[in-house]
Amino acid sequence: MQDLSLHLMDIVENSVRAGSTNIAINVGIDEFSDKIIFDIIDNGCGMDEKTLANAQNPFYTSKSERQKKVGLGIPLFKQNAEWCNGSFLMTSQVNQGTSLHAEFQYHHIDRMPLGKVADTVVTCIIGHPETDFDIRFYRNQINGDALIFELSTPSIKEELGDIPINYPDVTQFLFQIFNDGIKNTKLEEV
Amino acid sequence: MKTLADLKKIREKAQADMKLRNSNVRVKVIVGMGTSGIAMGARDVMKTFLDEIAAKGLNDVLVTQTGEKGFSSMEPVVDVVEDGKKRVTYGNMNVEKAKKVVAEHLINGNPVAEYVIATEE
Repeated sequence: MQDLSLHLMDIVENSVRAGSTNIAINVGIDEFSDKIIFDIIDNGCGMDEKTLANAQNPFYTSKSERQKKVGLGIPLFKQNAEWCNGSFLMTSQVNQGTSLHAEFQYHHIDRMPLGKVADTVVTCIIGHPETDFDIRFYRNQINGDALIFELSTPSIKEELGDIPINYPDVTQFLFQIFNDGIKNTKLEEV
Repeated sequence: MKTLADLKKIREKAQADMKLRNSNVRVKVIVGMGTSGIAMGARDVMKTFLDEIAAKGLNDVLVTQTGEKGFSSMEPVVDVVEDGKKRVTYGNMNVEKAKKVVAEHLINGNPVAEYVIATEE
């Protein structure tokens, strides 16, 4: 993966495959602790303790049709976080859902760029029109002010009525509004 | 700054358009979004399809995603499924190739043979 937003894309795909109907994606910077923080919380099928432990093993995959047993998505994200003086925590309950929390030191020489988080969010929303997403971008600034952007797809779908969320003009609207959110929370080119 | 209120205009225009063509989807573009696809640029390929389709007003084309399908060495992989025609699978896609597929396949109806890695009934 070239940047953190692509890792985010990969993690969200896991949530979708777990049958989630709602996925919350939080991306932010906390200037006090010098951290970039990701929280992805879904209400999918969840995992038992053994599967949860296995999910962090690169030689495990839940895809039974696979001949080569590798699953690199989660292990790579975890490794990158830990490399960058950060942390990684996944918790899960069967039939309840899974939460993933990852932190990266903002000013760490090995930290990948954040990348195009708005593109990740919008392609996830459009690629999975039946899933609801709660999106939150934030930046807790050292002067004490917090910049926050929040938008949930149910409120967009309500405005759209019978027009599908993947209708072409709507997709362009989504790219604009989420890119505005990234700008307003100063997560651009981070 | 965009706000949710801007959706009203889009909605009115879209409703008129959908009435005109009975909300039919003529073509589906399916982008493979597994780990290897994402690592090879599938997100930018999908965004290119979305941007080009909106710019050209192809309102009867639906862009969606799927997981990995075993073409890992040829990612990003994109399927084009057209009513009554064979499914066409493109491999090793990038932004430039996606633009060409929109112009030649989605608009003119001619698959771009040099990018095709599989076809299916």
